[in-house]
Amino acid sequence: MSDRPAPSPDAMIFLDGVSKQYPGQAKAAVSELSMEIGRGEFVVLVGPSGCGKTTTLRMINRLVEPTRGRIFIDGKDVTHADVDSLRRGIGYVIQQIGLLPHLTIADNVALVPKMLGTKKSERHQRAEELLELVGLDPAVYAGRYPKQLSGGQQQRVGVARALAADPPVMLMDEPFGAVDPIVREKLQTEFLQLQTRIRKTIVMVTHDIDEALRLGDRIAVFGPGSRLAQFDTPLEILSNPADDFVRDFVGSGAPVRRLSLLKVSDVVESSSADMPGTANVIPVDATETVHRALELVLASRAEGIRVGVAGGGSRYLDLQTLLIAAAQPTKVLS
Amino acid sequence: MKLVAYMTDNADLLLFLTEQHIELVLVSVGISAVIGIGLALLTQSAPRLRHALLSLTGTLLTIPSFALFALMIPLLGLGVAPTIVALAVYGIFPILRNTVTGIEGVDPAVIEAARGLGMGAGRRMRTVVLPLAWPVILNGIRTATIMLVATAAIGAVVHGPGLGQEIFRGLERIGGANALEEALSGVIGVVLVALILDLLFIGIAKITALRGLNVR
Repeated sequence: MSDRPAPSPDAMIFLDGVSKQYPGQAKAAVSELSMEIGRGEFVVLVGPSGCGKTTTLRMINRLVEPTRGRIFIDGKDVTHADVDSLRRGIGYVIQQIGLLPHLTIADNVALVPKMLGTKKSERHQRAEELLELVGLDPAVYAGRYPKQLSGGQQQRVGVARALAADPPVMLMDEPFGAVDPIVREKLQTEFLQLQTRIRKTIVMVTHDIDEALRLGDRIAVFGPGSRLAQFDTPLEILSNPADDFVRDFVGSGAPVRRLSLLKVSDVVESSSADMPGTANVIPVDATETVHRALELVLASRAEGIRVGVAGGGSRYLDLQTLLIAAAQPTKVLS
Repeated sequence: MKLVAYMTDNADLLLFLTEQHIELVLVSVGISAVIGIGLALLTQSAPRLRHALLSLTGTLLTIPSFALFALMIPLLGLGVAPTIVALAVYGIFPILRNTVTGIEGVDPAVIEAARGLGMGAGRRMRTVVLPLAWPVILNGIRTATIMLVATAAIGAVVHGPGLGQEIFRGLERIGGANALEEALSGVIGVVLVALILDLLFIGIAKITALRGLNVR
């Protein structure tokens, strides 16, 4: 007992050597996977189809029962806990949304509170709060039916429904996969803003590396044969891919993608203090991404940026320095 | 018109037989529904058994009704009991078939979402699957009902109740006084019963329709 690994107190989700072997299949869908996901962390599982990422996700709320290994949620071993009460404490969002078509939007959102025995008036109030939270006016939408909503609106309701009982953990299986690219980007942005407010522990599956890089605090890249190839921050995955598989999967253009992940403050140390008097520079906040800074420079045809630094004063970076600094992983990851 | 005269003269009898006919059909179809829906639910996790039952109940339907009624005599004698049993047997297939189709037609994503949110199997069946499958199930019951209205008339061969008595009495002494009128008024009654029950089902379908599925 004592030699088995236990989750650290910071871990919200802890997978201890979980495996899934489907009967009649030669290879395990997931084998001996261990992962620790911290409280309030947004982790994205990404990889080619058949790599076991969805199976992994579905083992967390035991829609797929692991063949071996243990699952901990919030420090408790839930490998053999009652599934229905386990799932009521975990938000779940799927690509096909799956709203109950015969219930109103409010009743859909209040589904889990209803199963938990929350009183009707409280349930309704909660549903309205959540609709508000995901940007749908309850006065307009609470009484409507799923069929009357667009795909993007339905997915918002799906997120609201998952949040209804205020679960600490949310599992999302390609939640933005079924909507068109413009709506998807909007939903992603809104969801990131939402996450900064609600700070849930989120595990999300996607096959889209761009989505993963954009949303995840950390990304788990799954390789063929359900191998966890790398589990790290987006910047680290772009800068120091663990192996050729990760490098290939991330694809070309990693240095350019890094621009949206790096902050100006990350590269400010390569700047010079002296500013050429003649140069046309524009002020940029240190918290902006390098990508945004470049945009501003290009848009105003400036030659560089001026960044205010802690303790007063400002630093100067010309376009060339900015690009070189951003292209050098070692410099940033010190 | 001799027919009209016959029917007005015997209005009480015809009305009584019509009522009997409706009751007979509704009781039989009620039993079919309990068995048909019940079998569909019980075989939820046994698809092969379900298939076998569909084949079996489908095959029962091919037994000529005249023969099935007659086959009931050694088991149940004459009268109401064999009539109801035979009719209930006929009614199972359309209801079982439609219940299975209805359940299988529920969007798997809806079931997956309900399951993922912690809705147990029983509650899922009661509050999600059955309500969504209901229109299809109801249609199966309706088909069974209309089918049984016609078949019930044959029940008269085992002295079953209903309008069949009138038809068979007429046919037995065809050429005799009022024989044709008897048979015809029985047939007209059967057609009217079918119409009335069909309207009843349209009404039930309207009343039980799920608003969410029909909004625009």
